[in-house]
Amino acid sequence: MPQDIASIDPDWAWSPFVPSTEQPWNRRLAAHLCRRAGFGASSQELDALVKRSPSELAHSFVENAKAASQRDPETDALASAMLATGNSRNLAAWWLYRMLNSPWAGDQASTTNPLLEKLTLFWHGHFATGAEKVDDAEMMFTQNRLLRRHALGDFGAMTQEISRDPAMLIYLDSTTNRKAHPNENYAREIMELFCLGEGNYTERDIQELARCFTGWEVRRKKFRFNRYQHDTGAKTILGETGTFTGEEGVEIVLKQKALPRFIARKLVRFFIFDEPTAPEQLVEPLAKLLRRSELQIGPVIERILASNIFYSPFAVGRKVRSPVELGIGLLRCLHGSSNLDQVAQHLDDIGQAVFYPPNVKGWDGGRTWINTSTLLGRSNLVGELLRNEATRFGGQTLETLAKKNGVSSPGKLIEWLDELLLAVPLDDSARKELLAFAEQTTGNPSRRIAELIQTLSTVPQFHLA
Amino acid sequence: MTTRRNFLKASIGASAVVSIGGTAPQILSQAGAAESKPSDEKILVMVQLSGGNDGLNTVAPFKESAYRKARPTLAVQAADALKIENSYGFHPAAQGLSNLLENNRLAIVQGVGYANPNRSHFESMDIWHTCQRKTAVRNDGWLGRFLDNTRTDDALDIPAIHLGHEKQPLALSSQDIRVPSVKSLDRFRLNDSGKQLRKTVTNIAKSASPSGDLLGFVQTSTGSALSASEQIEAASGQYKTGITYPDSGLAQKLKTVAQLIDSGLKTRIYYVTLDGFDTHSRQAPAHEVLLRELSGALDAFVRDLDEHGHGDRVLTMSFSEFGRRLQENASEGTDHGAAAPAFLAGNRVKSGLIGKHPSLHDLQDGDVKFHTDFRQVYATVLDKWLEVESAPILGGKFSPVQALQS
Repeated sequence: MPQDIASIDPDWAWSPFVPSTEQPWNRRLAAHLCRRAGFGASSQELDALVKRSPSELAHSFVENAKAASQRDPETDALASAMLATGNSRNLAAWWLYRMLNSPWAGDQASTTNPLLEKLTLFWHGHFATGAEKVDDAEMMFTQNRLLRRHALGDFGAMTQEISRDPAMLIYLDSTTNRKAHPNENYAREIMELFCLGEGNYTERDIQELARCFTGWEVRRKKFRFNRYQHDTGAKTILGETGTFTGEEGVEIVLKQKALPRFIARKLVRFFIFDEPTAPEQLVEPLAKLLRRSELQIGPVIERILASNIFYSPFAVGRKVRSPVELGIGLLRCLHGSSNLDQVAQHLDDIGQAVFYPPNVKGWDGGRTWINTSTLLGRSNLVGELLRNEATRFGGQTLETLAKKNGVSSPGKLIEWLDELLLAVPLDDSARKELLAFAEQTTGNPSRRIAELIQTLSTVPQFHLA
Repeated sequence: MTTRRNFLKASIGASAVVSIGGTAPQILSQAGAAESKPSDEKILVMVQLSGGNDGLNTVAPFKESAYRKARPTLAVQAADALKIENSYGFHPAAQGLSNLLENNRLAIVQGVGYANPNRSHFESMDIWHTCQRKTAVRNDGWLGRFLDNTRTDDALDIPAIHLGHEKQPLALSSQDIRVPSVKSLDRFRLNDSGKQLRKTVTNIAKSASPSGDLLGFVQTSTGSALSASEQIEAASGQYKTGITYPDSGLAQKLKTVAQLIDSGLKTRIYYVTLDGFDTHSRQAPAHEVLLRELSGALDAFVRDLDEHGHGDRVLTMSFSEFGRRLQENASEGTDHGAAAPAFLAGNRVKSGLIGKHPSLHDLQDGDVKFHTDFRQVYATVLDKWLEVESAPILGGKFSPVQALQS
């Protein structure tokens, strides 16, 4: 095990993790996998997962997610009900429901899968599009389906489609991209934020690429090419000259060497650690894999989830839980169900409203999730969620849930929750404090458990994933 | 007059804090808190008037015939105007502004705007927020850049707070710092029914040795969040003021700001808005209500801050994205205009009219012309009040207006 991130051997980092006596495969590590690959797992799910090997799980997670991604949720009854209101705010509950009710054990007919929803959320933050500006629930829904369909597939195909996606066209002003006045917004962001990163193109490239997208419009919520507004002249983009169309412009961007590295780096940050910035040599093998597989996302995800570094101290507890991970994760771990409209509202209060990213950069994540008001909000969210009449745990009370899991004393309860919910275990003094807290609570058992969980969720360790 | 602030100063200075009846403990604890945690940094409170406030009916040139002629139904009458100087007066509903002026607490910066005025609400507001025209990249706002330029490593306290239900103003957008938008003080309240949660977690957060990694960061953040919420709860629980705030939305927001300032929070920027100034038709009743709300709230706020000893360190600035056209329209309203006055309120302002009232005879597209760039007002606030160099924040050097006491 190397000591610091700069001296990590990339070969070691990306080799499959093989459990050993020093680092045995156990429920705690399986919980880590589920927190990162999805939104956590219940005690019973962990029991089942821990019987299989980490590399087998990484493979089957990716395969199941891929299969689910090809079963489009178009005819979803809940979605239709939400869409009928026309308000994108209501879509959030639909999506949270999918995150909450997607089984880890692959169900062959399921359209949802935790890894698939997690990746869809990743791409939503990557190709960030805000419903406030788009102002049309149906278009936001269509985009969400697009992201889900391609979540583990071909990045090039996803980028081509998102470039013509009506919600994206509206969000980045492509609809005002006329021949006489090219709008540079989309051209800039596809290079800066979606594909290459700053420093890998010039302002001139932006202007020229914007000309390729002239005439791309939205009519009746659908993409339409208006050839009268398209600039058919020659353009020079990233060193190539021709009378490029929009598709050809995107193709040129997708060919750039910087792209696999840019995407690989972002995936490392999302799945492995928030900080520090990953060294170039660590990202390179993933970038190579992406290049070799012609920008297929699935193999890279599998490599990440099976790797040594993923299960190392460089990764475990090295991310800040996002609001969605916190809210949905808590419910998942406790077999919970609740009023998801309210949950969505709470998540908005602590900084993450799905379908409403703060700007085209998406959510910054990491330390930016944490400030005075969000920390208090996180604690209050957990308290509110646990005490809410609508919240059930496996259809029952917290007391019944605890009993079912053989938890008979405050000490046992803390131990059980520690393993289930925390990436970084509590130290002895924290355990003692929590035990003292649990013992002074009064009232009915479910309420006492709820108070303990809220307190545990306010402890600094809880915010790490 | 012995204010409570003077009393406090005197007693601390003389180390003579003795128990005087039942009031002493509170004074003691406040004085103690002030000593251990000096929060004497200057604070800016922004009050945004959305929709385009009619400057010409806020500070009315009631003697000018051009004004009376252009506004047959809307002109403020000489008899009703609350006199500022000979020829200028406030709208009669703006009693609070008049009080502030009388107490030497209000600088009226006249003729504020910018070249080639844009008359779209959104575009003009964006210009005020970012100091950039549409053609430039506008990722952050002027206050966001202030936050970026002054951020410290232990940026755990909330550097700025936007109080209100509306979307967060672009002015507060920053590269690195997320400003919380707070709908009410409840957002700073910890739902801790048994009162033991805070104690337990505070002990846990304290027990670990601070480190530079993610856990260390969350530990210190947790410690500071718990103590901030405790301060705010304590402050709002026992927040007492002799000032009666009017029963209006803006007044309640500003009262909350006063509470937060008094709670010892280190926040330096507060931002609130008052919407509804887009008075295209039947302006008179609407504008009257708005001016009453604005001026009553500002007046109470400034007096409240003074009562709590914060008067010298809080400056309140009020602006709107544009003024309104001189000529009233056919619907007894006014259309989008250009230059208008901005207000600075607080103990440290140079009270009175600053700069000339824009001429009614030298119009541009029917609107009075600006003579003071809005960025000069910002430069005043940044250079002279918040004490940071304004040029990098505003994207150029702008000479401050003489609106603050030196």
